[in-house]
Amino acid sequence: MPESIPASLIIDTLKDTFTEARVAFAAEGQPPSRHAHLGWVLSVPDTHQRTVLAALDKEQAIRTLTCATEDEAVTVAAGLYLGGEPAVVMIQHAGLYASVNTLRGVSLDGRLPVFYLIGLLSRERDRDPRESRHSMVRHCEPLLDTFGVPHARLEGPGDLHLIPEYHRVSRERRGPAVVLVGLETS
Amino acid sequence: MAIKPEDALRLIAEARGGAICVPTMTTSPAWRTLAPDDLSVTCVGFMGGASALGLGLALARPDRRVLVLDGDGSLLMQLGSLATIAGARPRNFVHFVFKNGVYHTSGSQEIPGGLTVDFAMMAKAAGYRGAWSIGELDDLRRRLPAILGAEGPVLVELITTLANETPMTARGGVPFPQQVEALRIKLRSV
Ligand SMILES: Cc1ncc(C[n+]2csc(CCOP(=O)(O)OP(=O)(O)O)c2C)c(N)n1
Ligand SMILES: [Mg+2]
Repeated sequence: MPESIPASLIIDTLKDTFTEARVAFAAEGQPPSRHAHLGWVLSVPDTHQRTVLAALDKEQAIRTLTCATEDEAVTVAAGLYLGGEPAVVMIQHAGLYASVNTLRGVSLDGRLPVFYLIGLLSRERDRDPRESRHSMVRHCEPLLDTFGVPHARLEGPGDLHLIPEYHRVSRERRGPAVVLVGLETS
Repeated sequence: MAIKPEDALRLIAEARGGAICVPTMTTSPAWRTLAPDDLSVTCVGFMGGASALGLGLALARPDRRVLVLDGDGSLLMQLGSLATIAGARPRNFVHFVFKNGVYHTSGSQEIPGGLTVDFAMMAKAAGYRGAWSIGELDDLRRRLPAILGAEGPVLVELITTLANETPMTARGGVPFPQQVEALRIKLRSV
């Protein structure tokens, strides 16, 4: 298993993901974007993905908004989608647990596409997250399964294709989709 | 000194122009009849989320005003959104908080702190560009044009009586996912 995923690769992938989302929105009848940026990251800082957040600070093509709670991050992403803007919610596992009612009420019941990148902080390299000693890591995938949320795990740079793929899944299913960040970014 | 919420909503509906409106809780049954063809989405099923949904809409559509018609208990549930909204500085964001002092929809239990909670002061302290408390209908009528034209984010705490209907007594209306889809499509062409 690789040591880490370079932040720059994740940012390039996010740009491609937003570009693809805008093409899909245009195909549905969305008029051309009135914004200079490609898309939005809604974040409650995740220790696991902190190098991505640091790099996003300098990134002009992606707008980052730090929210006070994950409930807000998810709901702002939903509002952006309503107005024709693509977004990614970047949080950690604890934030998923903190915002389950919003996942259910906004994204599942409201049929609003929300794509999450969720950092699995404290995930042990040598074992499956479901077998983790840490409850925060262990309960994540079972919780997503309970709610019927499609999810996949990023285990190295070779898995980056999962980001545009699951963003597409969230748009096409009109609901939540998750990529779990299984190792630290660098 | 308190405003009937239906009277406040009628004034807002008349003055709203092309604004996107985000009602929730007891503002939603009255809004349904006052603004039936409006660019609205009523928040149900995620208490506290109206302000954040409005923020997302405001950031996506800076060319259009967004009016959030919030409940006092609801705002308390996501009080941090005041700071998030202030930080995002959407110029087109107008936040009305209907302060009735209670969780009317769930049976009129008093909210924490009751009527002493000052949402206008909280908004100012969070960094909103302006915030006012209004408890008289004439005062609202006089100030509304300036409020709706102000550079946001701004908040208006409306001190109100209890609404005639709640989402529990006046069920129905278009289900949330259909409203969402309809608004998304409407927003493409305006
Ligand atoms: C997360 C969550 N907790 C509790 C409730 C129950 N509940 C439904 S309506 C409501 C009161 C809403 O009060 P407020 O926002 O002040 O609006 P009002 O009804 O007074 O207009 C509560 C507590 C809920 N819907 N969701
Ligand atoms: Mg209330």
